[in-house]
Amino acid sequence: MNALISTAVFGIFLMISGLFIKSKQAIRILAISGVVAAFVLNIIDFRQYGASATELFHGMLSVTNFGLLFIEIILGCVLVYFLLSGKDLANIGHYTGEYFALIFFILCGVVLAATYGNMLMLFLSIEIMSIPQYILAGSDKHNLKSHEASLKYFLMGAFSTGFLLMGIALLYGATGSFDITTMNLAGRPIDAMALAGIILIAFALAFKVSAAPFHFWTPDVYDGAPTVVTSFISTIVKVGGFVAFIRLFHIAFGSPDVDKHWLLVLSIITAATLIIGNVTAVFQQSVKRMLAYSSISQAGFMLFAVIAMNVLSWQGILLYAAAYSLATIGCFAILMKMKDYTYDGYNGLAQKQPLLALMNTIFLFSLVGIPATAGFLAKYFVLSAAVEKGGLLWLVILAVCCAAISAFYYFRLIWAMYFKAGDCQVEEHAITPAFKSVLALTALLVIILGVWPGLILAWI
Amino acid sequence: MSLPTILFWILAVISILSAIGVVVAKNPVHSVLLLIVTFFTITGFYILLNAQFLAVVHIIVYAGAIMVLFLFVIMLMNLNASGEPQKNNLVKFAGVVAGGLLLIVLVAALKKADTGMLIQGSTNIGLIQNLGKVLFKDFVLPFEVSSILFLSAMIGAIVIGKKD
Amino acid sequence: MPSPSYPTLWPFLIYGILVLLLAGGMLFISHFLGERHQEKETDEVYEAGIEATGTARLLFPVHFYLIAMFFVIFDLEAVFIISWAIAIRDVGWGGYLAVVIFVAILVAVLIYEWRIGALNFGPQGKKILRAYRHKIKGVNHNEVVDKQNN
Repeated sequence: MNALISTAVFGIFLMISGLFIKSKQAIRILAISGVVAAFVLNIIDFRQYGASATELFHGMLSVTNFGLLFIEIILGCVLVYFLLSGKDLANIGHYTGEYFALIFFILCGVVLAATYGNMLMLFLSIEIMSIPQYILAGSDKHNLKSHEASLKYFLMGAFSTGFLLMGIALLYGATGSFDITTMNLAGRPIDAMALAGIILIAFALAFKVSAAPFHFWTPDVYDGAPTVVTSFISTIVKVGGFVAFIRLFHIAFGSPDVDKHWLLVLSIITAATLIIGNVTAVFQQSVKRMLAYSSISQAGFMLFAVIAMNVLSWQGILLYAAAYSLATIGCFAILMKMKDYTYDGYNGLAQKQPLLALMNTIFLFSLVGIPATAGFLAKYFVLSAAVEKGGLLWLVILAVCCAAISAFYYFRLIWAMYFKAGDCQVEEHAITPAFKSVLALTALLVIILGVWPGLILAWI
Repeated sequence: MSLPTILFWILAVISILSAIGVVVAKNPVHSVLLLIVTFFTITGFYILLNAQFLAVVHIIVYAGAIMVLFLFVIMLMNLNASGEPQKNNLVKFAGVVAGGLLLIVLVAALKKADTGMLIQGSTNIGLIQNLGKVLFKDFVLPFEVSSILFLSAMIGAIVIGKKD
Repeated sequence: MPSPSYPTLWPFLIYGILVLLLAGGMLFISHFLGERHQEKETDEVYEAGIEATGTARLLFPVHFYLIAMFFVIFDLEAVFIISWAIAIRDVGWGGYLAVVIFVAILVAVLIYEWRIGALNFGPQGKKILRAYRHKIKGVNHNEVVDKQNN
């Protein structure tokens, strides 16, 4: 488990280095090289594990090549994130080393979420992903909204963690095991205790990925947190939550005689997430808030991978993780360069910064799901997984309608950039050639993934 | 009724009453003190289950350290009885309905629970030595990972709490 | 419900009852034997000491909270280490290695906190001293300048 060890060690290393290195630039470069190192070490790991699970540390981790591939995607997205927005992250406050260290600890949690084999590890991974987020959301100490975001997130998150623990306890009572493979309820009489446990865990995880009835914290937290932090917690951590979700429900509760009990509940959650996320996003005036609601609606699509439960859904979640994270990180990186976060602040961007406008358009196309972008294939995979599962056609039709609604608010931004005259304020000095080239590479990656998904899917 | 059964019922009544008191009390300091009573009764349950390690930890960490933290928060925020915002009755009603529904679900879940998995009688799993054995052999990875968790909590305390 | 096979419960129960009896007895007996008087200072907070000013519910500096937070976390870590210390012979070198990693992370945290100054409390001696030295130097410098001017 090179990825786990390297992210943890680099986190501690960055924490200490923050004391001795005063240059923010140097710490940023250290962090970038840390991600690159973890990326390479994980590739070395990748050759040792196959499709069947390898148990490590007395069954605490069950490593598959799916999990490692997911970690690889996440590390790649974090690399893009650091290259695009690392400077903004370093400039939130005085504690540069600590911010990067917290990001690495979150990565440690994501690694655990992709490889856990035991409920205890699930709990720890969710917590390691959550606690640094509460801190990062409140790291802008001179902004009251940032405080509000942190406190709100913390209280709600602590509450949902309580639900998770209660669900784990009930399931332990019903099955007598913490191990997610021996916990498999297939072929056993299912009592009310196990069902209550499953539902409580589903609610807790739905909260962590901001699915619909549990989404109320999302807009306030994403809006209040520093933009660079929002970019991270709405992408990397959210898909990290999804991989925990999909692994638990496919491995432990995936057999047909169990899934009939929770499938309807999760289908309703999916439908509600899609409707609420998309319809509310239409009425937003701030692009940052629109992206917050868009992340709710994208979560609705990713929930299809959880409820469909077949090979296509595993592939779909991998593609979706890459497509959604890259496009959203790109959108946020451009948003951070704008002085005005409303739609009107984007007016006339195409004249002033044609490259930025073009890249933003590609990212938004990918979020809508226009063909030849990664977002289209990701949506195609998760929806066709649901079709293959059967009995979910109403949900698929609803999802297609919601994708059409989402086109409205994404295209509104493109409209503002290209067809509205205006004098948008851009932080010119922050748009360096390096930033532009990384942005262009990211957009290129989004298109390559849309044309040739084998870049990711060939590995599993 | 045997001695543990009598003790169980006494502890159960005290813990439920004090837990209700935590929620109902107007003065936050009274809430904290009642919470300490609740923690002590839960410690009693652990002793009845022969889980000595958990019992001691519960006293030291919860009733000791975490309660100090709670009191500090109250001192920090200067919560006066009058400062508490009046809650909307509709919100209260919705809260009662939601909480009541959860209670019904949990009671229904536990009423018909298959207790075959539960081990009757005295076990030694909760003794400190046995717990140490399990913790450092089977659960060694969660143990190490929890130190990373503590680390991030500690950094959080500094990043948020320390004066610039 | 616990099953009735607990042979070792009664010493603990007797101990608990003795504690309650002792504490209750002290209060009860002192209630009858103790001296009682009613004077001007009787109901003061410090009956024979300084006069209390204001309420006890004053606002604390946030630094207390930071220290309390560290206390909770280090307390929890000490609890883990105790469980290792009790089972030290059973867990062998593997357990030793595990606890060494754990303590190493702990030490890293301690170094971090020390360096960043989270453990400093109250006015910082070094800063005051530096400011003082700076002031003295400044004074000497001024004196030199004054002499030259004269």
